[in-house]
Amino acid sequence: MKITDYYVSQGINLGKVKNTSDLNLSELKNQIIFCPPSAIHDKWSRKFKNPIKGIVSGWMNIRQRIKQKNIQLPLIISDHADWNDILLTTKENNPHKVLVTHGREEALVFQLNKLGFEAKALNLLGYEDEYE
Amino acid sequence: MSMNNLSILLDKLLLNSSKKIKIKLLNEYFEQANSNDRGWTLSIITNSIKKKNIHLNDLKNLIKNKIPPELFELSYDYVGDIAETVSLLWPKNKSPNLNLNLSDFMNDIFFIDDKKTVLEKLENIFDSSTSSQIYTIIKIITGGLRVGVSNGLVRESLVAFGNRSSIEIEEVWHGFTYPFFDFFEWLLGASLPRGLKKEELFHSFMLAKSIDNKIFLEDPSDFVAEYKWDGIRAQMIVSSTFKLFSRNSEDITDSFPDLKFNLNDNYIIDGELVIKKENEILPFNILQKRIRRKKITNKILNELPAHFIAYDILYFKGKKCTNMNLNKRKGLLSKFISKINKDNITFSPSINFSKWKELEFLMASTLNNHIEGLMIKRIVTKYEKGRVANSWFKWKKEPYTIDFVLMYAQRGHGKRSSFYSDFTFGCWVDNAFDKLVPIGKAYSGFSNEELNQLDKWVRNNTLERFGPVRSLKSTLVVEISFDNINHSDRHKSGVALRFPRFSRIRWDKPVNEVCILKDIKSLIN
Repeated sequence: MKITDYYVSQGINLGKVKNTSDLNLSELKNQIIFCPPSAIHDKWSRKFKNPIKGIVSGWMNIRQRIKQKNIQLPLIISDHADWNDILLTTKENNPHKVLVTHGREEALVFQLNKLGFEAKALNLLGYEDEYE
Repeated sequence: MSMNNLSILLDKLLLNSSKKIKIKLLNEYFEQANSNDRGWTLSIITNSIKKKNIHLNDLKNLIKNKIPPELFELSYDYVGDIAETVSLLWPKNKSPNLNLNLSDFMNDIFFIDDKKTVLEKLENIFDSSTSSQIYTIIKIITGGLRVGVSNGLVRESLVAFGNRSSIEIEEVWHGFTYPFFDFFEWLLGASLPRGLKKEELFHSFMLAKSIDNKIFLEDPSDFVAEYKWDGIRAQMIVSSTFKLFSRNSEDITDSFPDLKFNLNDNYIIDGELVIKKENEILPFNILQKRIRRKKITNKILNELPAHFIAYDILYFKGKKCTNMNLNKRKGLLSKFISKINKDNITFSPSINFSKWKELEFLMASTLNNHIEGLMIKRIVTKYEKGRVANSWFKWKKEPYTIDFVLMYAQRGHGKRSSFYSDFTFGCWVDNAFDKLVPIGKAYSGFSNEELNQLDKWVRNNTLERFGPVRSLKSTLVVEISFDNINHSDRHKSGVALRFPRFSRIRWDKPVNEVCILKDIKSLIN
């Protein structure tokens, strides 16, 4: 909730936001509930009756992942610019150097080099742990 | 139906793990499709077809002409499935063709033998397709759909679609081949196509109930006792052709060429399939190894020879004998066995007994490792389909129960996905009691309440996390039941348990009272 409060305090209208622990089970029926990906199969999710579990991520393009994560509602929306848009943005800005981060950067570095940009991976710790 | 409809169906089947929903999805699809599309879809879903001369590698080469090969390899590393990588990476047209007709596609592609022509056609189609369509097409061509649909589940959807019962469908559908057009006509009420002889098709097995103590009040001379072999139930259909079916009506003929032979008249034999070498029946896990093999080489045939232990007969010399009593059937069966005179097809002997006590003694003392217990069969009964009351009884040996230490826990699936419900247990390597070796995995036998307790314990006693798996502190003892134990070269411990499950959680028991590997191995007789 802290992050949510912060967004609201910065003037981003998120509508009415309620914490699930303040509501009783009958109020939660047929509602869309947001949580971080790591919580979806955790103890917390047990209180919801017959939930349909979804993940919003570019990874949901990949069936093997969907199955592995036991997801019924894969929503293919990346929380970063995706492949095509990153390439487009790079072309538009024409930088002399691109540093790629977020783990698994080999393919993007390869493609940027191929397009004539100087690109390198910038390794950060912990970026692969998003979905545990 | 369009290919796009099929793509949508396959994705929905993948996403829904509920059997009921899968059956409904399939049924709705069959209702909407025309007769040709139905047949092709059934062929695809049951893995009955595969384009033999096109391999995943050909498709890989196809896309490597379109995009840099390095980019394909890097992407494949992330995605882990060639069909999926190709479908996602294929350069897309802005306005894809969503009207590609399924039957047209199948008719066009499946009957062309020239590889180059097929690949050219595929390239053209892919150029104007969506990722989902490309994925579907690749899976159709190379097989291995993996949408979690068993033949049994498809059968249920067909029961809802047509006018035939599950048993009727199970018995005849192996007689049909792709694209199954005539099969759907039969489902809707047409008679079986000429040339399809019912007596040469699969027949539903007669099944046993668990032993009921009331039996022991009856006259023993009304019953026959046989050994319950630790193999797989199988049905052998011998005529000018030869077929072998497993318990769930899977056609396993091609896995067991060493049993194959032909006769002019039709015979159907019921029995147990085992691996038998130098007069010794080998453990069940070795049979499993043989079943899993896709290619049966001479080496396997020599090392793991199949053996069929026959105990009943449904057709003798083209005549149905299911209405005869058990003794008459056994008479015909023994006639058949001596007539064919084969080393690897033998008669399952009946056990002589005049008092129930004798069998109890046998159960308690002399049964060896490849016998699961006894079968008690009432002599007057006919051979009937399914689990018939008061006819056949299985009397299983008491399971072993041994204490082990919990080592790892993994989250379950479906309703159990938030619970640590799959456990690896082990025993001490030696008398030093400082190192454990994993012995097996168990995920049943506990109550819901115990599962809650176990889950809580796992979360509070974790050493390390590896994705969905947690390694645990070596402090909790569980009593595990299992039906059998054998040597295994596939397990680090060198032993394999048959059907391990929880019998009790020993919250109170100290871990140094759990046995060492040597003690476990000494159980193998």
